[in-house]
Amino acid sequence: MKTPQAPAITNSPVAASTAAPAISVQNVTVTYENRPALRSVTFDVQRGELIGIIGPNGAGKSTLLKAVLGLTDLDGGAVRFFGESIERCRQRVAYVPQTSAVDWDFPVTVLDVVQMGRYGRLGWFGRPGREDRQQAIESLELVGMSAYTKRHIRQLSGGQQQRVFLARALCQQADILLLDEPFAGVDAATEHAIFELIRKLTDEHRTLLVVNHDLGVLEKFDSLLMLNQRVIACGPTRDIATEENLRRTYGGRLSLLDRAELALQNQESPQ
Amino acid sequence: MMTTLGQLDFVPSMWSAPFTDGHLWMGMVTSILVGATCGVLGCFVVLRRMALIGDALSHAVLPGVVIAFLVTQNTGIVGLLFGALLAGLTTAVLINLVSHNSRTKEDSAIGIVFTALFALGLVLISNLPRGTHFDLKCFVFGIPEAVGMPDLWLMAVIAAIVLITVVLFYHPMKLISFDPVVAAAMGLPVMAFHYLLMGMISATVVAGLKTTGVVLVVAMVITPASAAYQLCNRFSTMLLLGGIFGALSAALGMIGAYVVNAPSGPSMVLVATTIFALAMLGSPRHGVVFRSIRRWRHRRHIETEDVLKTIHHLDRSDQPTDVAAISSQSRVTMARAKAILRELRQHKLIEGGASTLNLTEAGQRRALEMVRSHRLWESYLADQANMPPDQVHDVAEKLEHAHELADEVDRELGHPSLDPHGEEIPRG
Repeated sequence: MKTPQAPAITNSPVAASTAAPAISVQNVTVTYENRPALRSVTFDVQRGELIGIIGPNGAGKSTLLKAVLGLTDLDGGAVRFFGESIERCRQRVAYVPQTSAVDWDFPVTVLDVVQMGRYGRLGWFGRPGREDRQQAIESLELVGMSAYTKRHIRQLSGGQQQRVFLARALCQQADILLLDEPFAGVDAATEHAIFELIRKLTDEHRTLLVVNHDLGVLEKFDSLLMLNQRVIACGPTRDIATEENLRRTYGGRLSLLDRAELALQNQESPQ
Repeated sequence: MMTTLGQLDFVPSMWSAPFTDGHLWMGMVTSILVGATCGVLGCFVVLRRMALIGDALSHAVLPGVVIAFLVTQNTGIVGLLFGALLAGLTTAVLINLVSHNSRTKEDSAIGIVFTALFALGLVLISNLPRGTHFDLKCFVFGIPEAVGMPDLWLMAVIAAIVLITVVLFYHPMKLISFDPVVAAAMGLPVMAFHYLLMGMISATVVAGLKTTGVVLVVAMVITPASAAYQLCNRFSTMLLLGGIFGALSAALGMIGAYVVNAPSGPSMVLVATTIFALAMLGSPRHGVVFRSIRRWRHRRHIETEDVLKTIHHLDRSDQPTDVAAISSQSRVTMARAKAILRELRQHKLIEGGASTLNLTEAGQRRALEMVRSHRLWESYLADQANMPPDQVHDVAEKLEHAHELADEVDRELGHPSLDPHGEEIPRG
């Protein structure tokens, strides 16, 4: 296995951002059709940190990733990467969506998909060159998929699809990676391999934010963000992975705060 | 010469009217350009599951065309084009507005918007000032015989624009079609591309109106591209094939229409559908033809392995290794046995004359591999699947062809030396 190269993008204005956290989410609120999906979510992620986002279905985990990436309109709040707006940091942030988000019958090969990681950099008119191809092949090696370069993506298993998506993000050589359920539908061996890769990335001071469904692997994360529309708890895993916090995250009972908000909402627009 | 939408009356005899002077080739060339352009654009439509949008755009250009007609007081092709572009983009924007700002799902939003715009177009037509005549039937069904030089030029320009756009933006367009969310996360202008695509489709549709009409033009967008989709593993190949299929449908459709004296729009669509059906049958993945070829190859492969094993057994028990014995022992016909033996000889797995066949060293190795696989599977069935030893043979006869798993079976069973019948299992 080869070690990925240091992030290629070093020309971004870092003067003001050396001290800024990798990701800073301030009071982010998102509403869908008058129903709140995220309520004043606030947290910071430090450079080189591996943070897991956990929460029940409908807790707004994927919405949070999209909000962080600026793909969803915010009803309030702001997101900063290294102290800057997302628009100035697009190339430094890689997003790994759920594998179910795309059509795996699409006429492309594994290498094509991985090379797409370079497209943000290439812009509208760019064409991938030798260097991009080389980078894609190295990224495939990192996820143990170099034997599948020419395969059509329809021939991949769930775990292999996940690896290809990861390779695409690696190919982008981003400093921050946002992963949406990278362990969904993968076997134990792949899960292990992905965690190993993630560890290697954080060793290189890359920052990873991972939406995760499986509570069995919590201890692998440096820190956790427990989310159920609002932040239930956020901090180092050993401090906050308590039964009490998990119950508050996954338990159905509404806090007084939730009930107050619901009451106010009903007053505003009675159903 | 300016034969245009407004001046043309739709008369059935029009279809059968002889192609005079340049009409045939002008209609032909325009249709081919329309077909090719639709085929290429259709790839994006098909891959992004926007088939309904194709239908919507073709209908929704009507009010645009009528308004352009009202404003310019003629059916000059440039006015029509701008009208159509405006209407097409309005449709795309309205669909977006409705589906994002209400509970309405996108497919319903599309249905609401395009029927509304089409209805608006119909109302506008009925209120055209006295003395003007707008031929709706021509709009709906198309009259390729009415294609004139301006139409041909317009279509040529549009085809060139589409082609250049697709070639220039090939890579970002591929990513946006495959994974729009990641494309947006990378900062690619996904919405701009969407509207660019909508604009190109509207322009092509309006330029193609006279060749197929609005009702059928959607087929030229979806059908050739869907046929290409069945056959390709590469995006570039799909675009190319989509264009070729589109052009081919148009050309053959025009010729067919001329020969059997049928309207050319429907004729083109039927050709496109035939191409699609052929692609479906012949697709390497799902196609019936390739599936039976694969099955036949597989059966052939299994028979070959059986014959190899049979020769090995006959040889071991000092029986004559002639074609008749081989054929009866390995349960294949004489003709088949002969063909297989010929093949084995080509691969240097057997040698010797017709009555005294011998396995070569490679052949011996392959045969032993089969025997080993067979006996290991027999052991597995008896030990792990609790089958009575007298029944394992027939099942193992099938399973032995999965000899790539033999080592795994061997490991699982703890490397047995004898099979359930007490025969020795050769070491791998």
